[in-house]
Amino acid sequence: MQTVSDFYDSAQRPPAMLEELREVWRYRDLLAQLIERNIKVRYKRSVLGLAWTMLNPLLMMAILSIVFSNLFRITLEHYAVYVLSALVLWNFFSQATLTAMTELAWGNSLLQRIYVPRTIFAISAVGTGLINLLFALVPLAVIMLAIGVPLRPALILLPVPILLTAMFALGVGLALSILAASFADVVDIYHVALTAWLYLTPIIYPQEIVPAHLQWFFRLNPMYYLLETFRQPIYAGVLPALETLAPASAIAVSALVIGWWFFARNADGLAYRI
Amino acid sequence: MDWRTASDRDAAIRLDNVSVCYRMPRERVASLKEHAMRWLQRRTQSEEFWALRDANLSVERGQVVGIIGKNGAGKSTLLKVIARVLRPTTGRVRIAGAVAPLLEFGAGFHPELTGRENIFLNGALLGFTRAEMRAKFDRIVDFAELWEFIDAPLRTFSSGMVARLGFAVATDVEPEILLLDEVLSVGDTAFQNKCYERILSFRASGATILFVSHNLGVVKSLCERAIWLERGRVVADGQASAVVNDYQYGAFHADAQQHGKKTIAPEQRWGTRRIEITGVRIKNDRGEEQVAFATGDALVLELDYCAHQPMSAVTFGMGIHRQDGTHLTGPNTTLSGFPLPPLEGHGTVTFTIPYLPMLEGLYHISVSAHTPDDLEMFDFHDRCYPFRIVNTNGCHERYGLVTVRGVWSHTRRV
Repeated sequence: MQTVSDFYDSAQRPPAMLEELREVWRYRDLLAQLIERNIKVRYKRSVLGLAWTMLNPLLMMAILSIVFSNLFRITLEHYAVYVLSALVLWNFFSQATLTAMTELAWGNSLLQRIYVPRTIFAISAVGTGLINLLFALVPLAVIMLAIGVPLRPALILLPVPILLTAMFALGVGLALSILAASFADVVDIYHVALTAWLYLTPIIYPQEIVPAHLQWFFRLNPMYYLLETFRQPIYAGVLPALETLAPASAIAVSALVIGWWFFARNADGLAYRI
Repeated sequence: MDWRTASDRDAAIRLDNVSVCYRMPRERVASLKEHAMRWLQRRTQSEEFWALRDANLSVERGQVVGIIGKNGAGKSTLLKVIARVLRPTTGRVRIAGAVAPLLEFGAGFHPELTGRENIFLNGALLGFTRAEMRAKFDRIVDFAELWEFIDAPLRTFSSGMVARLGFAVATDVEPEILLLDEVLSVGDTAFQNKCYERILSFRASGATILFVSHNLGVVKSLCERAIWLERGRVVADGQASAVVNDYQYGAFHADAQQHGKKTIAPEQRWGTRRIEITGVRIKNDRGEEQVAFATGDALVLELDYCAHQPMSAVTFGMGIHRQDGTHLTGPNTTLSGFPLPPLEGHGTVTFTIPYLPMLEGLYHISVSAHTPDDLEMFDFHDRCYPFRIVNTNGCHERYGLVTVRGVWSHTRRV
């Protein structure tokens, strides 16, 4: 039994952020089960099962390839890999943050009655996203081989941008989920924002189609750096440049710290709401 | 880490001056857009609501404590503070031992998962590892009697099956401290009995139990100690039967006071009013107004009258009805051989019952003033004055209407 530590003293508690970390570690079994549940539930009622994770970005890529290379005459070499690599990471981010909100909403009724470390819901959302991301990398590799993009040694570094994006998604997911627990319209607003964000980021179009005097705009976008560090090893086969890796790391760390702090600061209020 | 001193070595739960304050927005703002607008206009106002005030409490290891009080008195908040769900606003909470809150059955289940998968998920939410749950699994399914359906998705279960599964998971624990919030109120009778048995076995195993319930009978029979909360404050803390009785007295007293403020309905009062009964008081033998009595207590009824003209022959009477309409008694001054002198102006007639023979229940007193021959009714108040009999330590009789104060004896025939 580890529901509550054997001695609890409300007057002697470590800072909220540290305490939460320790508690998440104690509840790691729950974390594993929440992730397992999310994966299972998602595929239980669909005929295609896990294959859907891989098919979904493939279909998106196929549509985008046709539209962009035929209608907009984008003549980017290996456009399919260019767009698929970015979509896979974008899907991971958008799914993880959206799931963080629904997870906390589900857990909220429990949090009124039992103690569970509250960040566990956002963490499990990101964990679920990571597993889905791993599955989505399979069709990406297949496409690369099919259209002749070589798998180069730089790919070994892929865990770094994935980890950075996971940190960023966790920070954003934590902050959003606590907002969504208080305000019903947050999910809707975020859906709209995500769509706008997708088109403002060079995911389906090459960065170069934007005039030079507007390029600075991309540099305000955190996802731009994360996507570049992920896409460079896959698409160009080179290690991510320091001028993207450094800001990407800084963004990931600060998003996580701010998101975690914001969550810890407001999480006590969850149970107070009646 | 050991904060316990010699004097409270056996305390499992200690609360020192614990207060909990909810901050409630004056108007419910459900959307972020609206909230942002209000914030910009500096119109975010909130009200403080103290759900718990200066609660001091120490529960010994192995004690079974009932928590009673009206809705909103702070009972659930008290459990939440102990379960670590809420952090006290001020004060200090100390817990020694593993706390197991009993979930509302089925909370945390997922309809798409099978019964088996839900058992493991629910166990993890309660803080058990997968290995611990594997060891419990057979016992849980046995108890829930759900072997046939265990690998079917939960959405195919009936609500009764879900409740059974939830209960089986939640109670398959060996807790040191168990928190129960109104759990015996769900399910059918058979299910409630099953819950009850489990709780009895927890008690037998020496667990410390905190038990919130509106079922005062269960609190009396299950708990040795009871705590009565009123508006976030502990107003009584002591032996369960005594606190429950006090609570019943108090709750009834509040009802009766409200009752007394009402004017008597026209259909409850009639008569020529040549004499009026202007005031009625129910008191105990110490002269204090009271509305709840125990079997065997004395009751003193005082009637204030006003004779608007000189009256030579007046009879005062009273009657007691049980709530189901049974007329228990109806003495009057003439029948009792207590003739009154001619009356004029104001006065008080007192009727003393030295020993109330009635068993537990709600009773109403009627009062009357009439001519000795019953031909003219001056003033009659029909069942306007309620009082309650609560069985306390003195009388344990349960059957019938009254106690006859009989004495048993036994002779062995040789």
